[in-house]
Amino acid sequence: MRKNGRPIFREGQPDTPPGVAGWVAGFALFLKSRGFRVFQSAVLDTLRCLGQIDLSLRGDFFNALRANLVSSDMEWAQFESLFHEYLDAAQEEPPEETRESPSGGHGEKKRAPGGEFLPDVETDTSTEADRPEERAWLEGVAYSPVSELEKKNLADFDQQDVQVAELTLKRLMAPFTVQKTRRSRRSRKGGTLDFPLMMRKSLKTGGVPLDLFYREKRKRLKRLVILADVSGSMDRYARFVMPFLLGIRGIGSRAEVFVFSTSLTPITTLIRHLSLEKALERISREVPEWSGGTRIGYSLHQFNQEHGVTLLNRRTVVVILSDGWDLGGRVLLEREMRNLRRKSHTVIWLNPLAGDPDYEPICQGMKVALPYVDHLLPADSLQSLRRVGRLLARVVTH
Amino acid sequence: MANEFESIESVMEKLADARYIADRALATVLFLAHRLEKPIFLEGEPGVGKTEVAIVMAKLFETRLIRLQCYEGLDASSALYEWNYPKQLLHIRLEEKGARAREEIEQIIYSRRFLIRRPLLEAIQWDGERAPVLLIDEIDRSDEEFEAFLLEVLADFQITIPEIGTLKAERRPMVVVTSNRTRDVHDALKRRCLYHWIEYPSIEKEYDIIKTRLPGIEDRFAKAVAGFMHRLRDVDFLKKPGVSETLDWARALLAMNRNALDEDVVEETLGCILKYEEDIRKFKEEIWSDEEKRAAYL
Repeated sequence: MRKNGRPIFREGQPDTPPGVAGWVAGFALFLKSRGFRVFQSAVLDTLRCLGQIDLSLRGDFFNALRANLVSSDMEWAQFESLFHEYLDAAQEEPPEETRESPSGGHGEKKRAPGGEFLPDVETDTSTEADRPEERAWLEGVAYSPVSELEKKNLADFDQQDVQVAELTLKRLMAPFTVQKTRRSRRSRKGGTLDFPLMMRKSLKTGGVPLDLFYREKRKRLKRLVILADVSGSMDRYARFVMPFLLGIRGIGSRAEVFVFSTSLTPITTLIRHLSLEKALERISREVPEWSGGTRIGYSLHQFNQEHGVTLLNRRTVVVILSDGWDLGGRVLLEREMRNLRRKSHTVIWLNPLAGDPDYEPICQGMKVALPYVDHLLPADSLQSLRRVGRLLARVVTH
Repeated sequence: MANEFESIESVMEKLADARYIADRALATVLFLAHRLEKPIFLEGEPGVGKTEVAIVMAKLFETRLIRLQCYEGLDASSALYEWNYPKQLLHIRLEEKGARAREEIEQIIYSRRFLIRRPLLEAIQWDGERAPVLLIDEIDRSDEEFEAFLLEVLADFQITIPEIGTLKAERRPMVVVTSNRTRDVHDALKRRCLYHWIEYPSIEKEYDIIKTRLPGIEDRFAKAVAGFMHRLRDVDFLKKPGVSETLDWARALLAMNRNALDEDVVEETLGCILKYEEDIRKFKEEIWSDEEKRAAYL
């Protein structure tokens, strides 16, 4: 398929707004189906912008679309390939024909919003029951891959899902903001004027209140400590859930993060600068016997020993990410869990296996640890991550 | 007006005249932002020239750049306006012996004379011939409440001061918002803006930048510096060097009267490019100690 040189709109169409408007609207819906955050107003703005430029220049057309429809670096990175994908799909079959023959007779084909037919494409061969047998590339009338994706197990994600999911995750993280409390404290600047204090201090200058004092509301935020199991089976899962935890507004960026398999490694300073992916790569290079197995008890012991004093207090929320398969000793794990629980505010355990309705904490590690865990959540799909987010928003701020 | 943007080409030309090397995508965004009076939202790694865009815009339009540097705890009173309380109090003291009625004094102390104008109000109340350029720098550092407040201001460029009334901008300022992505900026704010992500420049572009910014530099030397930096950005550093580091470095080398890269001079001036001890160590150990790799850089 030729990507360059071919006009996007058919001859005679560039100046007719209906053709352009329809195309842009269709494209916007397509982006939305891929997890983009596209607003009605952005579509209108795009059309206004397109009125200002020469539509026959493909580069400018592309730039104008991108400036309006993209709103984050992640979307920026995906935009170009999606643009071409949509163009290619649109040019496979001429729009005129499809407009005249609506979906009747095309039972197994989805009708794209732009008016084009696109073949269903099978992207996955997994046998899970809740997945439709065919997946459309484009959003159909009553079909949204995003909502479908919400229930899908993280472990079954394929590459394309990952892209969509990353964008969805961002959206999930947004609503949790730090609540302010009623308690206030003195502040140099900002907040409301503290009149009593001003009066008192004004006595020094003969009743002329020259200095201003303020009170502002105090933010109370608990400390979040994340202990993530990245050994073999958990690795993939951790790579999904951790960006989510770290991305939660106002909480995630302050979290202290540790990863463990056979031993514990702090990665807080690393991920401040590198992406999680790169940070994990670096650790697996530096730490010997990295994926040798899991020793939760020993790792927790290390944490309590080396970081417990500085990080744990009654305002610390600990999130442990592990499936609970432990190769270490049971006595040690129990002791360390007890320590952890006693010194922290809340212990949350995210276990991907817990999503299964028949799940029972039979594996030894989990059974031992369970009495000391306040919340056990699955966090194995986007939907359950939403639940985790809500829980954290409630627990971490007060 | 002489400084209107007529077409994307003219934007590119003007930017080049102002010694800012931009690709067509950025020029398109600037052009559209100007035509539609929309704010621009710029993101990108540190040191790729986000802030510079606003400075150049102000230069192009021969107008003032009003800058609002965001920080944690920035609030309306330091971004928009504040009453000059001490001055008001002093004024009241002075009027105590006078014969003015209480209402009159009240009117005086809540007049514009007693208003401290902060950047946003300044941009709105601008009475120059040409609309100013308002740079809201590093929005990601401010609090979320401030973002919501900013949204209000950017929506229609008018603010209401209870004691005075509603002030509306006669000329909409050109707004440039930059972010370093230390946190997500709210969608509602982004939605009002044209988004642009500034990438690290290609070798050719970086070469152009060095040449335009440092006219005295030799072609061959500029090429060497650009190539070096380009290669360096492929390495996983905690902080990858940006264009500003490139320029700093080239400037430093020129000041040292060098006109070629060699092993010693790179090692001596490494601090211009890499800003973390760990990165410097990594560079020395993994690249500079290896003769083959070293040769590729020079």
